[in-house]
Amino acid sequence: MNRVLLICISLIIANVFAHADNHINIGDKAQVLKDEGKSEEIHPDLKEIRIMHPEFLLHKRDKTLRQGVRTESDSLKACVDCHSSTDTKNEYIPINQQEQFCSTCHAKVGISLDCFSCHRTTPTPKED
Amino acid sequence: MSIIRYEEIHGKSLGFYALVAGLGTFILAALGSVYFMEHNGHHVTGMNNHIVWGLPHVFALFLIVAASGALNIASIASVFNKKIYKPLSRLSGLVALALLAGGLMVLVLDLGRPDRLIIAMTEYNFESIFAWNIILYNGFFLIVGIYLWMMFERRMNKYNRKVGIAAFIWRLILTTGTGSIFGFLVARQAYDAVIMAPMFIMMSFAFGLAFFVLVLMASYKWTERPLGDAIVNRLSNLLGVFVAAVLYFVAVYHLGNLYLAENTGVENFILMDGGIYTHLFWYGQIILGSLIPLALIYSPSTQGNRSMLGLASVLVILGGIAQLYVIIIGGQAYPMELFPGKEILEGYGAIAFYAPTLAELMLGLGGIAVALIAITYLVKVLPFLPESLADDVADSHHKS
Amino acid sequence: MNKNLNRRDFIKTTAATTAGVATIATGVTLSTYVSAGDQPVTDEKRWGMLVDTNKLTESDIDTMVSACQKEQGWGKETHSNEAQKPSWIKKIKVKDTATQRISNLALMCQHCEEPPCVDVCPTNASMKREDGIVLVDKHLCIGCRYCMMACPYDARSFVHEELTDQKEHMPRGKGTVESCTLCAHKVDKDEQPACVEAVNSDAVIFGDLLDVTSNIHQTLKRVQSTQIRADLNLNTGVRYSGI
Repeated sequence: MNRVLLICISLIIANVFAHADNHINIGDKAQVLKDEGKSEEIHPDLKEIRIMHPEFLLHKRDKTLRQGVRTESDSLKACVDCHSSTDTKNEYIPINQQEQFCSTCHAKVGISLDCFSCHRTTPTPKED
Repeated sequence: MSIIRYEEIHGKSLGFYALVAGLGTFILAALGSVYFMEHNGHHVTGMNNHIVWGLPHVFALFLIVAASGALNIASIASVFNKKIYKPLSRLSGLVALALLAGGLMVLVLDLGRPDRLIIAMTEYNFESIFAWNIILYNGFFLIVGIYLWMMFERRMNKYNRKVGIAAFIWRLILTTGTGSIFGFLVARQAYDAVIMAPMFIMMSFAFGLAFFVLVLMASYKWTERPLGDAIVNRLSNLLGVFVAAVLYFVAVYHLGNLYLAENTGVENFILMDGGIYTHLFWYGQIILGSLIPLALIYSPSTQGNRSMLGLASVLVILGGIAQLYVIIIGGQAYPMELFPGKEILEGYGAIAFYAPTLAELMLGLGGIAVALIAITYLVKVLPFLPESLADDVADSHHKS
Repeated sequence: MNKNLNRRDFIKTTAATTAGVATIATGVTLSTYVSAGDQPVTDEKRWGMLVDTNKLTESDIDTMVSACQKEQGWGKETHSNEAQKPSWIKKIKVKDTATQRISNLALMCQHCEEPPCVDVCPTNASMKREDGIVLVDKHLCIGCRYCMMACPYDARSFVHEELTDQKEHMPRGKGTVESCTLCAHKVDKDEQPACVEAVNSDAVIFGDLLDVTSNIHQTLKRVQSTQIRADLNLNTGVRYSGI
């Protein structure tokens, strides 16, 4: 019941900002894919992903953790992988920091992020 | 029998503000401790992976157990029709709610993720006695709230008895549930005992009444309202009976455990070679918390003396905290029997070490402060206390 | 419907239909090619482990512990003291008081069929998957530590400090409880737990207890094995032989 209320409120607020197209920083890999014109393949509807991503993530986390369904789609790992940015020293910046992908919207709508108290904040470095 | 008049406490006094300020300082210290523990993580506390519940839980459980016992006075009046306790019913309900609020505050603020309290209140696992406790605590607030309303509102007085019975049954289930938090844990030698449930009920009677007696005597002394011996002596005797009953259950619990060969390990630990736990058990719980109060209450030289009753109540409370320390922390400190008949050389099996930190103590004391500040403030602004509890007013059999 | 279908319309309709079919077909193809990892696990399998203490050496156990640390990202906590540091798997050295025989074993979450930790968790955070793996759903964990009180095997750890640099597949955070996941993330990809792979001998066997053709099922049928604290009747998924 509480989850429904939370989502309703988030949807109302997020709807206002879903139409904004000004992400200061969508992340390195995402920027590359956007320049290549592949945005629509990954996120067919930008408005939808902006409004519905909490719902997608909530649904996915239960499927993965409680049911063992491990797919790329809707996974938080995949979000972090694409939307992280690197700094001048070519090191990844934690995605939950200010001016990074998540905070640019979340700070504006005033909804706090709890994901990254546990989840990894940068893509895993490729090991040999 | 004269009509009891309930009255708020009028006027301003330095004492009142000093009391509120003092308690407020404790509460601020507690909040500071919570911020410190939550921000840094529990590594700043003395708790660890073997002693997972520490001093905050001792205080929290003490307050919660005392809360249900504090309602006793109102129950004796409404349910068992002892008219002399009727004027005390409102205060009894208030003390019960205040102690529960303080206890729950401490419990919730010690959670690893207190920000997830909403999850605890919406996602229930009905097989968990802990989840049932959460429901019972919330229900207690509701039922006692309604009970107080029945008492305050003259037109509702006729429902006193029915709501009183409901509240009585609810608090019995609640305290049974609290005792069962430990009693249902088969993993640990100290806890695997269903007798913990009735023992906790008896403990609630004793601790709750001790608190109530102190609050009652202090309120009447500090507001200079008359409090007659008829009531005080009755409460004193009641406290004596409850303390004796707790002693009985403690004896049965330990004797039972000693009889069972599989539990002699933990019994020897608590009763003989457990260091601090043994000291707290014998000196704290038994002598200071049970035997001396019994002597003070029943010995002819101190019987009827209010200061002695006050001292006895304080000792019962301290003994109660010691008892919960031994149960909660001592019970965790003693290792589990992973391999019966074998000796573990490495990896597990040592007596777990626990040293409480200041932050934990301040949190626990903050809970008591919250309870007391709620009582202090509410008896002032609402008519909880009878204007007079002198013998000729309170006792219908009194010969003036 | 326009009887006189002109060229433009024909091209438009065909292109739209082809695109639509292509999209759906891709979707269908993708779903048939994706591995079992996209279906929920069922109770057709029950994962278990057999630890043979006769064959397991002390250095094997140390290997298991470091493999677990490396795979799951624990062990690098700096602020917690020894008793507060997480300990998903530990080495236990046991001596039989009657015979003086010493055994070494690795103790981790036993993945019981009737887990006490699942019974007592107030928010359903402590849960058992259909295939028997017992996990903590850290989205729901409020950090009350009641499961740690209830666990008969001292298997669970509480995170006492702020964490960084978690493994991507193993989120862990301050204020929640954690324990051995039987490397569910690897098992779901048809691999074996990190500790089992690290030992790489028949001292530790992992597999589906319900599959009669599996190595573990057949070994359990053949050799003597026991559950730790068998008297509690929890029907653990981890069994030990040699103690």
